[in-house]
Amino acid sequence: MSKEIKFESPTLAKRIKGMLGVDFYRLFHTPLFYIFLAIAAIIPAMVSGMTALPDPNGNMTALYSNVWQIIATNEPLYVVREIADYANMNMVFIFGGIMVSIFIGHDYKSGYVKQLFTTHAKKQDYMISKSLVCAFAMACMCITYFIGGTVAGLLVKYDTEVNVPALIFAIAGKMVMSLGWASLYTFLNVIFRRYFGVSIFSSFFFGTGILIIGAAAILEGLGLPGWILNVFLYGSSVNASLASNLGTFILCAIISVAWAFEYNLLGTMILDKCDVY
Amino acid sequence: MNAIEIRNLTKSFRGMYAVDHLNMTVPQGAIYGFIGENGSGKSTTEKLICGHLVPDGGEIKLFGKDYTDPGVRVRVGALIENAGCFPGSSVYQNLMMQCINLGIKNADKEIKRVLKTVRMEDNAKLKFKNCSLGMKQRIGIAMALLGDPALLILDEPINGLDTDGMRIMREILVDITKKYGCTVLISSHILGELEKIATHYGIIRQGRMIMELSAEEMDNRAQVFVSLKTKDIQGAKNLLAGRFKSVRVEGEYIRVYDVNDSASIVDFLMKHGHVVSEIRKNKIGLEEYYVELMSNKEGLNDE
Repeated sequence: MSKEIKFESPTLAKRIKGMLGVDFYRLFHTPLFYIFLAIAAIIPAMVSGMTALPDPNGNMTALYSNVWQIIATNEPLYVVREIADYANMNMVFIFGGIMVSIFIGHDYKSGYVKQLFTTHAKKQDYMISKSLVCAFAMACMCITYFIGGTVAGLLVKYDTEVNVPALIFAIAGKMVMSLGWASLYTFLNVIFRRYFGVSIFSSFFFGTGILIIGAAAILEGLGLPGWILNVFLYGSSVNASLASNLGTFILCAIISVAWAFEYNLLGTMILDKCDVY
Repeated sequence: MNAIEIRNLTKSFRGMYAVDHLNMTVPQGAIYGFIGENGSGKSTTEKLICGHLVPDGGEIKLFGKDYTDPGVRVRVGALIENAGCFPGSSVYQNLMMQCINLGIKNADKEIKRVLKTVRMEDNAKLKFKNCSLGMKQRIGIAMALLGDPALLILDEPINGLDTDGMRIMREILVDITKKYGCTVLISSHILGELEKIATHYGIIRQGRMIMELSAEEMDNRAQVFVSLKTKDIQGAKNLLAGRFKSVRVEGEYIRVYDVNDSASIVDFLMKHGHVVSEIRKNKIGLEEYYVELMSNKEGLNDE
């Protein structure tokens, strides 16, 4: 009755390829991704469009003076004082957090996570795959945000003058930051895997970058320069401004990969030590 | 080689043992019926084998390798609690995802094969949420069957199925073990159904394995009894109790255990003025054996 069975250990690349394949398949075959792409495009259009409308007295209260301020601030502003300084492509990381929570939450809610963990003995497969796929989704959201914001900015006739390489480095910098953010959200969703609401709230909370205010205050109190804030995900995301250059992009890439590595390591450790659901 | 070998496996939740130094041996190619009351630790053991839960202690080996070996685990198919499918996706899409996950090259052909095996080839386009319970269970089996699994772990796969659904499920399980030679660990409360397919049994209580035996051993241990009906049940029972070791009244019938010669019982009763209106020879089934075992405290010692 029994036959000889041979077992071949799949390489890390083969394992990740399998799980990435599933996650990409799901991403492209469910409405969630497309809904968030649309949200990312609509939000900047709404913000710039609505604030450019005249008030009842006929006065214009435009939020921006330049189309590209919808994408990034003129200079890195770690602690913002006006909504215009806040409402830029960094908002993608807030919507992205909610998307990651729903994406991972569905894994658990449907029970599909059991199939994944049965066939993938190494928990790092899960962390790496989710981080990469969600980073891709957020990077795509950056593109639709760019399209939505640009179209709206042009329609309300904002100034279009810009340093093109700086704009490209700013957008590329924010896109590359998606990896760090996606890893953070994956990690948060692994921690709060049994509590879907808490997962969404925590992703939203971290996505707003509210903690940077505290960090900035500490730095100021210690008399340290503000650029140190670039070591944080939000700091580096802000650093990708319209004054960016290749150095900014490289820094964004280093910070993003470093945080992604750390969150993946921590997430794997948690999944290794704790019951997966 | 054993498909599953567990030694001293322990898992506790909030200080309470769900699995308490469990030992278990599932031979390769077996259909292993895993039996126990609700909360006895069956599902927890299965989740531990699948790597969903982290054990507090002990050792789990699958086909002689540690259960965390990726090469072994990729050959494990499981249906634990539910099919684990995305409700908004079609049956085909759900199976496709699992094919991609397992790196199956000819996915379309493989999906058609497993759908045929579970007799659902005409339902591939159906959304999972629109499937009946029986269909969902079969899709769960189909998911588990993808990629030539060496071991199938099925947690209550026949729960909630109607008679026809149970028959289909039974045929599928026998079919896949014969065709593909995989080992099946199956837990179920419906012992009558389990008895029809299992080649081995493991009985668990309060997280401890109290007995493991093959279907043959089970058959040898199962008591033979003669079941008969008379007008005066109590009188006949008292009379038989004086002559035979184990006599019991079960509803309208008297059972005389460990007796092969039913004619001698009829003669004996006739001589004492009792007319036997019905008589048949029988063997206690798995369910009765299990109930007996559970009610017998002495039977709880490890064997």
